[in-house]
Amino acid sequence: MEIVNKKALIVDLNKRSSEVKGLPDLRVYIGGLGLGLALYEMYRDKDPVIFSVGPLNGFFPFASKTSIVLSDDGVMEDLYIGGNLSTRMKFSGLDSIVICGRSEDRVILDISNTSVSIKTSDMDINTLGLPGKRSILSVDYEKNNVLVQSYFSTPDYFLYKTLSEKNIMGMVVTGTEFHKPNNFSDYENLYQNILNKINEVRVEKGIYPSCSNCPMGCGKSKFGEIGGNVLVHSLVSCHYADKIYSDLGIVFSCLNVLGYDYTHEDLENLPVIVEETLKRLN
Amino acid sequence: MPKVIKIDKPEDCNGCEMCVFEIQRQLEKVGLEGSLIRILTKHDNGYEYPVFTPDVDPRTNTINIERIKKICPKMVFEIEEEIK
Repeated sequence: MEIVNKKALIVDLNKRSSEVKGLPDLRVYIGGLGLGLALYEMYRDKDPVIFSVGPLNGFFPFASKTSIVLSDDGVMEDLYIGGNLSTRMKFSGLDSIVICGRSEDRVILDISNTSVSIKTSDMDINTLGLPGKRSILSVDYEKNNVLVQSYFSTPDYFLYKTLSEKNIMGMVVTGTEFHKPNNFSDYENLYQNILNKINEVRVEKGIYPSCSNCPMGCGKSKFGEIGGNVLVHSLVSCHYADKIYSDLGIVFSCLNVLGYDYTHEDLENLPVIVEETLKRLN
Repeated sequence: MPKVIKIDKPEDCNGCEMCVFEIQRQLEKVGLEGSLIRILTKHDNGYEYPVFTPDVDPRTNTINIERIKKICPKMVFEIEEEIK
């Protein structure tokens, strides 16, 4: 699996079509929030909702959220959802899923790596994808909410409102790709070093379902996040691990061992680039 | 006597998949494909939480099972001597 060059799956609900697009010009946005805003700007006339992961998802502990960028009546919102969606997106080989337009009928998007099949709403969502390698996001039209793994949600009603307006009943993402970092022992050592920083995560270990690649099982992950640190949410790490993932030295090491050629300046410039993009969008 | 990994407390699994990624690292890859452990998620409408079930391939015993046991935050796994 190639991870350095960014790739998005663009789904057009009006045309019931999809395409995979390479994004060499969006390198500076890193991923997650930054990438989502840049893609929103590209597709804004199609009223997109954008799910994105960052370069660390799947590879390092506590980098376990998925970023969602959407517009609520013209106001840009960035939300973060937990569970296993981020690892499935990462191992599908995608950085982002951009869902444009609106379907006439209620549909389920069945995404397997980079291909999409649009299913009718009478399909049992639990029969789609590969068990152990899939993530199921379901839209509950009776309870007015959106859940990953029937448990993890986002704050506020924005995501439900957007997906229900698009007539989406659910999305299943199956990822069967894998990656071998070139210097595996360096990668493994860094993974362990970050895992050893567990006391720097600002939540207590709990008895709740955990996000994929996070051992905490905390009670906070159920409700997701809204807004926050630009770098942390572009990676896309958990907000409660911000002490670890707002450290530029650690982030640089993580990116470097995975083969990314970002510099310290790229990371330092990210908040300004994101702010400028937001200004153009608002 | 050879040692084998057993699922001791399946009900405690929180779905974190730390074991899945540990086993993959031992095989020098990162991903879900070909993992010798899968975590299956099931939701029963009567419960607030999903139920996670580890599915362990017997070939797991050919790798470092102590590391699998150690990385699990809920101590779901136990290592026992194999009885033939």
